[in-house]
Amino acid sequence: MKCLMKLFLLALAVAICGLELSPQGMAQGVNAAMLLHPPANSWPSYHGDYSGRRHSHLTQITPQNVKDLGLAWVFQTDQTASIKSTPLLVDGILYFTVPDNLWAVDARSGHELWHYHYPPNIGDHIGQRGVAMYRNWLYFMGPDAHMVSLNAKDGTVRWNKAVADVTKGYWTTMAPLVVGNHVIVGVGGDMDNLPMFIQAFDPETGALQWKWDVDSAPGIHKPVTGGTTWMPGTYDPELNLLFWGTGNPTPVLNGGARPGDNLYTCSIVALNPDTGKLVWAFQVSPHDTHDWDAVETPVLVDGTFQGKSRKMLMQTSRNGYFFVLDRTNGKNLLTVPYGPVNWSIGVDQQGHPIPNPKKDPAPDGRLIAPDEGGLTNWRSPSFDPKTGLFIVNAHPSYSLYFAKPTDGAYGWAGADYDLWGNATLEAIDYRTGKFHWTRELGKGTSAAGVLTTDSGLTFTGDTFGNILALDTSNGKTLWHAGLGWGMGSSPITYELDGRQYVVTGAGGVLFSWVLPKGSADVDSESGK
Amino acid sequence: MMPKLRVIPFAVLATAVFMYSTGFAAVQEGSVNTPERTAEHASANSSSLLRAGDTLFQQNCAFCHGRDAQGGETGPDLTQSKLVANDVDGSTIGNVVRNGRPAKGMPRFNFSDQELERLVAFIHAQVAGAENGLRRGVDVADLQTGNAEAGKRYFYGAGKCATCHSPTGDLAGIASRYQGLELERRMLYPEDAKSKVTVTLPSGEKIAGTLAYLDGFTLGMRDASGTYRSWTLPGVKYSVTSPVDAHVKQFPKYTDADIHDLMAYLQTLRQ
Repeated sequence: MKCLMKLFLLALAVAICGLELSPQGMAQGVNAAMLLHPPANSWPSYHGDYSGRRHSHLTQITPQNVKDLGLAWVFQTDQTASIKSTPLLVDGILYFTVPDNLWAVDARSGHELWHYHYPPNIGDHIGQRGVAMYRNWLYFMGPDAHMVSLNAKDGTVRWNKAVADVTKGYWTTMAPLVVGNHVIVGVGGDMDNLPMFIQAFDPETGALQWKWDVDSAPGIHKPVTGGTTWMPGTYDPELNLLFWGTGNPTPVLNGGARPGDNLYTCSIVALNPDTGKLVWAFQVSPHDTHDWDAVETPVLVDGTFQGKSRKMLMQTSRNGYFFVLDRTNGKNLLTVPYGPVNWSIGVDQQGHPIPNPKKDPAPDGRLIAPDEGGLTNWRSPSFDPKTGLFIVNAHPSYSLYFAKPTDGAYGWAGADYDLWGNATLEAIDYRTGKFHWTRELGKGTSAAGVLTTDSGLTFTGDTFGNILALDTSNGKTLWHAGLGWGMGSSPITYELDGRQYVVTGAGGVLFSWVLPKGSADVDSESGK
Repeated sequence: MMPKLRVIPFAVLATAVFMYSTGFAAVQEGSVNTPERTAEHASANSSSLLRAGDTLFQQNCAFCHGRDAQGGETGPDLTQSKLVANDVDGSTIGNVVRNGRPAKGMPRFNFSDQELERLVAFIHAQVAGAENGLRRGVDVADLQTGNAEAGKRYFYGAGKCATCHSPTGDLAGIASRYQGLELERRMLYPEDAKSKVTVTLPSGEKIAGTLAYLDGFTLGMRDASGTYRSWTLPGVKYSVTSPVDAHVKQFPKYTDADIHDLMAYLQTLRQ
């Protein structure tokens, strides 16, 4: 009897250990608490946390010791596709992607645990920005507008659901966003005139929970098409508001075919994540004719603005303007250019840029600043709360835009050509829009995102293929390393076994950076 | 008989392509080329070659070059490309696809010979289709809205072009060398212009040359003999002159009319 009792107690203990109780306990995947307050040894979602600030509280790597940062390991994907995804780090395992491919890698050794291949498909293979995770399930987008749920332990497929019809011209590249019991996904596809939407799915079954239509502004008799929703948004748990950016209207360069503001394209929208209902919307580019999606990260910042305490949302948008909004109601606080802009005749009372009709694409061409790639694009900016600086990898640029009647009113409906551009890192004081410092990153475009840390470091990449660690207060270079290809994703950082790692992708290679063992800061923190 | 491909709704085209590709869905994942497909294509007629090329093009190229290769997001109109016109069975296209054009933002693609064959067939079919109308590129005729006299005044006046350029010197015959969009783009920003650099070694010796590389950590140059030399920075003093910067400074000053007038003037410089 005693023996049985002991066995029973042992079995009970084992069963309790298997429960998903504590975030610091045994491997248990991602739960709601972790998404709300990501522990130091994790990066559980695309932005790292719901704010989109891409700012870490880790301080082991400092402006003083970053010069000693070295390689822990690299992982070679053996593919020509550039890594655009932000890896997730959960329970010591990294999950990252390129189109049609998902890898699970041991973050300690850099070795592959498993590699999932998505089957051949006709979706656009322009990019893949990573996966979402909930409990022990991963959510991966195939290029052809399908969402696959996989077991994180071994990469086996649980289910595969279509979120849109690829044969109509939809495609998907994004990392989904998990909020509560919703897996939220947008779609891409502006080569056709298509209605666009954001959808939420049940994390267990993949069943559709709600759908919000971008082109659904009330009172509009002829809805516009377009407004892709191809980047993950941000979330405020206290307000229970989901913030998402929408893309450009279609036909892209032919605005004459779709007069009016074209709501809710090129907008920042606030939705209720449980119902998908629109709470407020702010249009960043009314009647856009230059392909300037407003899907850049809607960064959430609590701070003061003109002496008052505010819950804000900030976006360095593709069209060249930096927006600061009150995120409780969408009211505009600031709209100011953050680089050369020549397509508007000013900003209206509500903070909307007013497009200059003379700068619409024309048969003999119009000189436009910025270029079609935008003053910035999907790469993450970073907000550093200590300095109040909004740091963005910007692309001051000029281009020519053409459109003529024979180009029609479908899809691109015109042509645009880049003339010149630079890559410049800008540290913006959010209260005024003024630059605190800038740092040149080379000619052309750098696709690297920005990460800042509490110790005062900024990580990004230049156009020459260097990873850079800069002093956040003044932009001075503190460390660099040549990666052999331009950084094409946004960096992450986490702590593992008492050591702080920075992980970046460049070309088809993932790099893991760490201070050497034996470094005084490492040893004292890890207690060795 | 080469089908006349036009800009047709994607739904129609993609349905045909989709029906073709789903036949192979059961085949091993991740690989477009399998023994089954190879055998099939040994006896492929040209239309299935084109459909396969279309699939590859839509997946990998259409985002930048447009569904019909006539240009899209920043990618040039391939139907107006000299490189494509000169291509025979991938002789010139192959290199560009496999190596990419990193400086211009084009990625590289590790396609097999068969995939490249399909892609090249599709691209050439688009060229043929474009010649039959519904072209979406920019024609020389589109750019003739300026006034050459006004352009000449701008050249010598507000444009300050005469500071560095001369219609009888460096620009003599420019309109015979370049036409249309290519001429206008070079006029606004000549991409292959080089900068000059003078390096002063710690010894005081000065070396002058053409700037080849400068990222804040390494400076590279080609000296007068064409030899590449580089230095770790800081370590040497240097000064760079980039006359092409004047083009960048001019961007915020142009009106669109200035640009069209200047283009009209440059087009008179045929010898």
